[in-house]
Amino acid sequence: MSPPPDGSSAAIVVALVGNPNTGKSTLFSALAGIPTRIGNYPGVTVEEKVGRFTHRGQAIDLIDLPGTYSLVPKSPDEQVAVDVLRGQFPGVPTPDCVVVVADATNLERNLYLATQALDLGLPTVIALTLSDVAAEKGITIDAEELGRRLSCPVIRLVAPRRSGIESLGDAVLAVMKSPRLPPQGLDTHLAAVDGRHEPAAREAIARYAWIEELLAGVVHRQPPAHRPLGERIDDLLTNRIWGTLVFAATMLAMFSSIFWLATPLMDGISAGMDAVTGWVEGLLPEGAIRSLVVDGVLAGVGGVVVFVPQIAMLFLFVAVLEGCGYLSRAAFLMDRLLCGVGLGGKSFIPLLSSFACAIPGIMAARTIENPRDRLLTILVAPLMSCSARLPVYLLLCGAFVPNVAVGVSWLRLPAVVLAGMYAVGVVTAALVALVLSQTIFRGPPQPFVMELPGWRWPRWEVVLERVREAVWSFLQNAGTLIVAVSIVVWALASYPHNDSVIDADVAAHREVLTARLAGLSTDDPDQTDVAEELASLDTDTGLAAARRGAAQRQSLLGQMGKLVEPLVRPLGWDWRLGCAAIASFPAREVVLGTLAVIYNLGDIDPGDEEGGTALVRRLRAATWDGTNRKVFTLPVALSIMVFFALCAQCASTLVVIGRETNSWLWPVVTFTYMTVLAWLAAFATYQIGTWLGG
Amino acid sequence: MSLEQVAIGSVARVADVSGSDSTSLRLLEMGLTPGVNVRVVGTAPLGGPLELELRGYRLSIRRHEAARVAIAK
Repeated sequence: MSPPPDGSSAAIVVALVGNPNTGKSTLFSALAGIPTRIGNYPGVTVEEKVGRFTHRGQAIDLIDLPGTYSLVPKSPDEQVAVDVLRGQFPGVPTPDCVVVVADATNLERNLYLATQALDLGLPTVIALTLSDVAAEKGITIDAEELGRRLSCPVIRLVAPRRSGIESLGDAVLAVMKSPRLPPQGLDTHLAAVDGRHEPAAREAIARYAWIEELLAGVVHRQPPAHRPLGERIDDLLTNRIWGTLVFAATMLAMFSSIFWLATPLMDGISAGMDAVTGWVEGLLPEGAIRSLVVDGVLAGVGGVVVFVPQIAMLFLFVAVLEGCGYLSRAAFLMDRLLCGVGLGGKSFIPLLSSFACAIPGIMAARTIENPRDRLLTILVAPLMSCSARLPVYLLLCGAFVPNVAVGVSWLRLPAVVLAGMYAVGVVTAALVALVLSQTIFRGPPQPFVMELPGWRWPRWEVVLERVREAVWSFLQNAGTLIVAVSIVVWALASYPHNDSVIDADVAAHREVLTARLAGLSTDDPDQTDVAEELASLDTDTGLAAARRGAAQRQSLLGQMGKLVEPLVRPLGWDWRLGCAAIASFPAREVVLGTLAVIYNLGDIDPGDEEGGTALVRRLRAATWDGTNRKVFTLPVALSIMVFFALCAQCASTLVVIGRETNSWLWPVVTFTYMTVLAWLAAFATYQIGTWLGG
Repeated sequence: MSLEQVAIGSVARVADVSGSDSTSLRLLEMGLTPGVNVRVVGTAPLGGPLELELRGYRLSIRRHEAARVAIAK
């Protein structure tokens, strides 16, 4: 931890520790407000959260440590918590005081960590959270007596109402002034434990025996007159039938909200960006600067901001589910399904969200505590067919898959192929996860021992903070880099730019079309298309579109497309398709727009009806250079779809993987393995398709 | 007999947790120590994890982890 921002050494450092799901984040917000710093601890992907506040004139730096059940670490998160508490984390000062958050509804288990923390010998205060929920359940706690037995202040809190926050601050200052001796008690119980156990197991058994003794006469349970609402909700959620239905409904609502509810917001952002683009276009003279600003910078900014609604929407859902304790239950219900492929129940929500967009999905993997499961989930999430792939599937299925019935009359082949594309992604993700978990991620099995917190109402300030934090970290960390990538790709697609080469290209193209038209009989369906394209070269817009296509073909990007032609030939692709695939590296949805440019249609929108039809007609008529052999056949269309189902053509996803894993190794690994798999699968599809068809 | 075989809805008393790796330590740390009473609340579909109630809270563990927890007769 760096010294306090104002350079004073007077601030005391207080570490906040506690079990997961104890209301630690709520307490952090209540004490320190919005964190002054959020980031990762150096070298690990464990979140570091620091806040600053003043209590009775004393500046206090609050460090929020990762939630942990024990100070015998079993994961990197817990290791960080333990190292910081012991003053062994490089660059982080030893805390002056420890505040242990303990859930009053579940004191017995929470005291396990609390007593371990007391044993460290640092000045310690125990903060009892959720006392109101405990009271509803008929649990009363004699905090003063507990404090006396533990020789440490025990403060009862209802954090959002600020009651107890003042006394907590006072208690921190008081224990700092007059340190107390850590409680004794574990040793006597250790002696009573069977000697055949390992030392750590003996400590665990003895500690619980000690806690039972500590709590005798301190915690009183009285069945409440009315069963609290939370318990009745719990009964519903744990019911075999109702629980599953509620789960399915919740997941459906979450998924459709990021898929459909975010769409109007995203359209609004796109419209806003279009307006800004139009305004800038009016301000700047046509030329390289305008092209840089419009096609490089503004396109990049638009490409960043457009993800914000989905991220905000998903994190709103995740934070609410987390806040009511339902996130763990979702993981519990889905664990078996994902366990089979080497993942865990907590991977479910990130993977499900990735069907809308991998970026919020990968960010939602933050809720997975186990670092191995988290990394595996991040690596396979981009294989889920996101909404950006849908237009590609729809256009190609509609244009090149024969609309025939499969078995029954209502089941049409294009729909089956479309469903197949989704299946390809899911099956590949399952196989990749399985193989990786058995090979490079092989290790001692991580215990899946998860608390199922009871139902509680989410705290809106925690929910909003989570959403704000997710959106902000995306804009700040990933956004700038995505804009940079967009500018680089713009430069690759714009330079070199040589007008005489473009003129020659257009003239050559005119000759090709003329020659082809002469060879076509009038009843050939291509005849009209070719004649139309030839005629369009004499119109201003048609000529501009052809010049635009020629400019892209002679750019570095276009040359790269030609360079990779030997690589894409086995997939049944010509160099134009290779170009389009390379040019769609920033985002796979631009592949249709790129195809339109390459096939001399200019900047049309393939998403609307008119643009889509024009593109399909041009693609249908396309032939291999110098021949009358069609480029787009059914096997080629399938091979393109399979390639786009599995490839990593989304720079934003790769940037987010880099940011979330805190390493540039993983985006490189993701890009490599996905591209190799996409190529192999597209190759197999084309070859098998051609063999079956021929 | 292990915790995995306990009927849903019934209460059992833990006798021992076998093994000496991090999983068995975590089970002990979560309160599954010898002598504690555990109620098996339910299971997730498709042979998924067990939901347990002990020491006033609910815990979920996978079946092969539950198999490590021996139950007193």
